[in-house]
Amino acid sequence: MAVSAVKPLEKLLEQEELITGCEAIAHAIRLADCDVVAAYPIRPYDGVMQAVAKMIANGDLDTEYIVAEGEHSQFEIVKHASAVGSRVFVGSSGVGWFYAFEAIAVTAGLRLPVVAMVGNRALDDPGAFGVEHNDALAVRDLGWMLTWVDTAQEALDRTLMAYKVAENMRVSLPCAVSADGAFLTHSQHLVKVPPQDAVKRFLPAYNLGDRLLHPDNPITIAPQVDQDWLMEIRKQNDAAMKRARGVIQAAHEEFKEIFGRGGDNPFVEEYMTDDADVVFFGQGTLAMPARVAVRRMREQGKKVGFVRLKWFRPFPSEEIASILPRFKAVAVIDRDYSFGSPYHGGVLYTEIKSALYSAPTQPPILGYVCGLGGREVTTEDLELISGITFKAGESGEQDNEVRWIGVRE
Amino acid sequence: MAETAVAAKSSSVEVVYRGIFQKTLANRICRGLVVAARKDGRVGTAFARYGDSPERNGVPAKNFAVVASDGDELEKSLAKYEPAIVDVSICVDDVMCKGIESWAWYGIQPINKLVREGGFLLVTSDRSPEELLQFTHQKSYDWTLAVIPSPKREGVFAPDGTASLAGLWVYNDDNTDYRCMAAVTRVAPEIVSIDAVEEYVREQTKDEDRVKQARDAYDNLRILAVKGGQGNAHFYEQYEKPGWTQMREGIIVEAMKVGTRNPVYKKWTARTRRPLIDFDKCIKCTLCWLHCPDECFEVTPDGTYEVVYEACIGCSICEEVCPVENCIKMVNELEFDHNDSLYEMSKADPDGYRKLLEKHGFPVAEGVK
Amino acid sequence: MATQELIKLDPIKTVKQVPYTEYFVSGHRTCQGCESALVMRYIAKAAGPRSIVLGSTGCMYVANTSYYTTPWVVPWMHTQLGSAGSAATGTAAGLKALMRKGKIKNERINVIAFCGDGGGADMGLGAISAALTHDEYNFMVILYDNESYANTDIQLSGMTPWGAVTTFSPTGKAKRIMHKRWKKNVPGMMAAGHPETRYVASACASYGVDLMNKMRKGLELGGPTFLHTLDPCPKGWHYDPQFSHELGKLAVETGIWPLFEVEDNILRLTGTTKSIAEGRFQRKPVREYLMRQGRFAHFTDEDIEFFQKKIDRQWDDWVIPGVIAFGVEGLKALNKTLMEQQKG
Repeated sequence: MAVSAVKPLEKLLEQEELITGCEAIAHAIRLADCDVVAAYPIRPYDGVMQAVAKMIANGDLDTEYIVAEGEHSQFEIVKHASAVGSRVFVGSSGVGWFYAFEAIAVTAGLRLPVVAMVGNRALDDPGAFGVEHNDALAVRDLGWMLTWVDTAQEALDRTLMAYKVAENMRVSLPCAVSADGAFLTHSQHLVKVPPQDAVKRFLPAYNLGDRLLHPDNPITIAPQVDQDWLMEIRKQNDAAMKRARGVIQAAHEEFKEIFGRGGDNPFVEEYMTDDADVVFFGQGTLAMPARVAVRRMREQGKKVGFVRLKWFRPFPSEEIASILPRFKAVAVIDRDYSFGSPYHGGVLYTEIKSALYSAPTQPPILGYVCGLGGREVTTEDLELISGITFKAGESGEQDNEVRWIGVRE
Repeated sequence: MAETAVAAKSSSVEVVYRGIFQKTLANRICRGLVVAARKDGRVGTAFARYGDSPERNGVPAKNFAVVASDGDELEKSLAKYEPAIVDVSICVDDVMCKGIESWAWYGIQPINKLVREGGFLLVTSDRSPEELLQFTHQKSYDWTLAVIPSPKREGVFAPDGTASLAGLWVYNDDNTDYRCMAAVTRVAPEIVSIDAVEEYVREQTKDEDRVKQARDAYDNLRILAVKGGQGNAHFYEQYEKPGWTQMREGIIVEAMKVGTRNPVYKKWTARTRRPLIDFDKCIKCTLCWLHCPDECFEVTPDGTYEVVYEACIGCSICEEVCPVENCIKMVNELEFDHNDSLYEMSKADPDGYRKLLEKHGFPVAEGVK
Repeated sequence: MATQELIKLDPIKTVKQVPYTEYFVSGHRTCQGCESALVMRYIAKAAGPRSIVLGSTGCMYVANTSYYTTPWVVPWMHTQLGSAGSAATGTAAGLKALMRKGKIKNERINVIAFCGDGGGADMGLGAISAALTHDEYNFMVILYDNESYANTDIQLSGMTPWGAVTTFSPTGKAKRIMHKRWKKNVPGMMAAGHPETRYVASACASYGVDLMNKMRKGLELGGPTFLHTLDPCPKGWHYDPQFSHELGKLAVETGIWPLFEVEDNILRLTGTTKSIAEGRFQRKPVREYLMRQGRFAHFTDEDIEFFQKKIDRQWDDWVIPGVIAFGVEGLKALNKTLMEQQKG
């Protein structure tokens, strides 16, 4: 990487604030100068819409703020606002996200760079407010970029990055930033809030070019197609998602250059993995108990590490295939379920196994379903997981039993 | 280019029909052929071309019947979206001999496009096969054109046409289906025998008169052997579909420009009749123009209105809303072999145009210059 | 230049004044005699080039815009079946924000979203209702009502008339009539339920100038506005396409489809409907309308009588004939004065 001429921290005058993940994302919306925001209440994501509303009321943000009559309309409203050239923000949680499913699907089909927040929440029935990742994961095949964050700081930073990547015309795909319900949406962190001019440098104005719906650019968008055309259109989406990888990498470097944050790799974060025999693998706020557990077990002399996935779509197959074979065994921790899937594993588990199939060596991959419905994943849970995983690492044999941890028998 | 003949063990029939108006008819013919062929010990399948659905009133559509000697043979046909070639093509509105364009297609196709070498095109018509061959496109190989004389017509749909037409909810039960089936047995008995069809009609209707009607079509089929190179030599432009790297991203197509018309989809093959205008009678009231759902009318330098025939679907609303008697009349489309401006003809050759109008039932001019 | 002719949307006084330029051009793939296609043509013609049209899934999506071609001269975008209201809201909001922030030129752009009866009266009713409360945005929602899910092959919608045959309500040996729900009164509902909406109207393409003028009036008044057209559908209603125009007229002349507008909460009956109300035009029997259509071919005399009585009640008992379905009797008991005004 070229050495930057700008010394980031000298130039940046960031303000530190104690705010929730929702409030951090609201700051990103303000800094991105969003034009249209559509809201509808559902816990836990709606904290972000409350924070945005407050900013508008206080004159800190100039945006059309539309409270829709349901999530389907909420997502349709921003989709259409995006088509006429507005930078938009939207979001939901759990079944609310599902209520918008049709609109979510077409937004990706239309290649509109809508940025959404998903405050991950368990799906009804029964109603539960706590985190599960099944809501956001359900759209994994549709052409949305999906990213998970771990801290409020990362929520702010990644949201800015989401606009940058989504609006890049080589990509032009919607992006959902997932934040775990309660653990991130409603807990307060110390966050460095960057100044507007720095954000402006990072994030250019949204420009749809010749895809803008406007009388000066008369076009017809999304006419009906048949079997003669759809495959070509799907292929265009496939190509755009493939290009997203390079665009994310570039955006990551640029972000680091301006703000000095983001870590070594845009797609995965490794923690104490250098000499690790076993690693935990997961995404979102699982990182917090995982890091604590890793440190505790390290004190006991166990060579454990943690690998955190930051982007689920596009899936970083290259990183997974090069990083995970370094270890003797991997414990994939899913905060989701996929009933009836291969070995009855979670979504991450299945994807990791798939990505590793073509790696030169495959360590045993063990699947664990944990922390559903907002249940805490404790360091004890993780110690239990590490014990089972170490055994597989020693034997070197694949253990296909997917274990539910922290569930009462 | 000669297409290879299908294997003798399985045969395909297509019915080309007017969307909605003949939906039930086409379905009855194809189903009937398969069910009747069971009596001869054959197996089969019947299906509508999925791409034609949802059908549009008048817009050409297709229905297929495949009959085979055994299940394995049949499966070969089922594995395809639609047959690439057919043994027998049945056209149930003779106007479609000019060419057909499904709403899902690009470019006008000859009615006999799928007819294999040595295959048959059967047309229900009051006209002779020689007359229909003038409109029907030539092929590089020999084939056969046969006319199924139309049964007695009833009903209000397109009364100047010869096709058996109906709406969606009430079928025009005039034996056209049985007559088409019987005609197939005459040219391709390997698909189904006349005995099987007669038995089928008897079972369905318990009416010997209808059995006779079917037999009548079998006996009176007017067959014309056509040599390669005979027939209409004018082919329509074909449309090349771009690939994904050439298509605009974001499912975008360029808007139309003011004053232009869709260059790819012309719509005229959907009409059985066309409006003919007596420009001398036109009072320039604009109503035909105003009420045309297909934007077909254009103002002439005289201030009268003329039809752009490439765009006209033949709905007849203009005739209906015109306040002047005998100013606009609907005329069978086969009376014309072009879509050229008739206003220009009326200017270039006023007497000739007058004669044309009179030929089509417009009253003889009374002192009109 | 032709594109300048419609920036100010003046009323069209006579048919001769109807703008000649088409902004919805031929080569769409609709049925013979499609009145909904005619509505599309009128929409584009009346609104002119500085417009954005958003089209919900339905006939006017599928049959009009087959990929790689389009009949639209003005910018057009597909929206989902139930999304006419949200598409209009999102588009108008986006334009407003960009204009306010100086990101695009501040000018008038007509935002028009259309939906069929399935999209508007069934699935998208809530979204349209929400949209009509956004008086900070300018747009018009147009519900083209051909009384069934016509694109998917004629299934009944909340707007299908009582007793009509559809593919979801066939007539059979055991049940002559399967569809026994009475059609919703959508324009009346929209007007009554959204008092801040400055313009709600009903129209029919058989009265093309009236339709275009209602459109222009709504767009000129601004805010969210709503227009509901009844479009005879030769495919679903089963009649020879040449009678499309005539059936639209009959729907009005039999009193089945009242033409009216509500402008700033003032209601006016228009055209033939006004003449009926004022006694200058004798309502035609519904039989003349029903028996022209194959979808009612299974009706008995009793069925026609039932239908006629419903329409008679709509004219004789409603507070506003054909618009507000509250019986006059109840109102009389509550407020004699209002009744007197009503009579006057």
